[in-house]
Amino acid sequence: MVFVDVNIKPKLKERVVNRAVKALKQHKSLDKISLPAIALELGVSIEDLQNYYSSVEDIFLKAQKKDWESIHRYWDKQILKSRTPGDYKNAFDLFFEQFVSSLSDDADMRLEMSCYLPSCIKYREKNKKKLRDKFYKVIKRGWPGKQEKVLSRQTELITILFYGFVDHVVHVPKIERKRILRDFKNMLNLHLQDRKFF
Amino acid sequence: MIDKQIEKKVKIINKTIESMKKGNKALSGVSLPDVAKELSMPLKELTQFFLTVEDVFLNEQKRINRKLEKYMDRKLAIAKTPNDAKEILEGFLDKFIEILPLNAEVILAATFYLPLCLEERKRAKANYKIKLKIIIKKGWPGKIESVLDRQTDLVLLSLYGFYDYCSRVKIDERREVLIDFKNMLNLHLQDRLFF
Repeated sequence: MVFVDVNIKPKLKERVVNRAVKALKQHKSLDKISLPAIALELGVSIEDLQNYYSSVEDIFLKAQKKDWESIHRYWDKQILKSRTPGDYKNAFDLFFEQFVSSLSDDADMRLEMSCYLPSCIKYREKNKKKLRDKFYKVIKRGWPGKQEKVLSRQTELITILFYGFVDHVVHVPKIERKRILRDFKNMLNLHLQDRKFF
Repeated sequence: MIDKQIEKKVKIINKTIESMKKGNKALSGVSLPDVAKELSMPLKELTQFFLTVEDVFLNEQKRINRKLEKYMDRKLAIAKTPNDAKEILEGFLDKFIEILPLNAEVILAATFYLPLCLEERKRAKANYKIKLKIIIKKGWPGKIESVLDRQTDLVLLSLYGFYDYCSRVKIDERREVLIDFKNMLNLHLQDRLFF
């Protein structure tokens, strides 16, 4: 009987991403990172690596997708079980908490790649739209009674602020991330409670 | 003569940005010899302005930052009342959306990767933080130091989110969001219950 270790694939993928980030930190240039070099450093064949990744850019893109898919899965579950405005407000808060707690120590490098590599930028913009749609839905149910126009404009602002928050939070130490998250959530809440928002 | 030189410089910048945008390329896919060829300009002439592609992006990034920093310095030097300080923040945002070029998303992308641009980004962010703190302190007086610091951080991060948004949309859309963005910052800074 042959036992197949189901953990091998995810472990290798994780090691590849970590290796790529480490190499980027070290060389500060994508041109100095290559799939053969990563394969050599990890002691695997290039064919093994090419089973999962077609290029260095692909490594960063797939890591970015994996991180976001996990966050969306978590958030969808929270949204799905929400019934009352309080539940939706809670789901709104939990999204930010989950996002911050899922950030790795090298989140700054990952963000930089997601804002620089063309395929990562494309995914980032697509994901932004997806997030905006979910923010819209959650705000509508968590803070009911807003006119359609107000709802759209507030959603846009929340999305803008969230991306500023992402840029900020990845560049600060883990311990500080929680503190800024608290203030950030308060700011968003204040904004969403605003009844004078024309 | 000076105008012609500036004109050439602008042409090089625009062509470099366009070339990166057109092919959906990363910076490694853009080279100065290619830019020179597309502009029908001898490479030697082009390199009188920029030695590398990184130089082109750094130049653009610095140009935007310099203008905004100068604006804040100039206005802060003459601000007397809280209202004057509040107007600086508003004016800063107005100026920001006006001077941000149309292809700003390409410059923004470069600032996340190129070492010199990353350095400039870090420097500018630290500088904006100092200036924003002074503006908030003057414009919304009576805040204790820790509140001031925390609110400054929030305004700063909001600003970078706003930058990300504005770099991808046309000027009309920037203006549209600007009104809401300003109101939101005001609401936040007026908040007396900040925890």
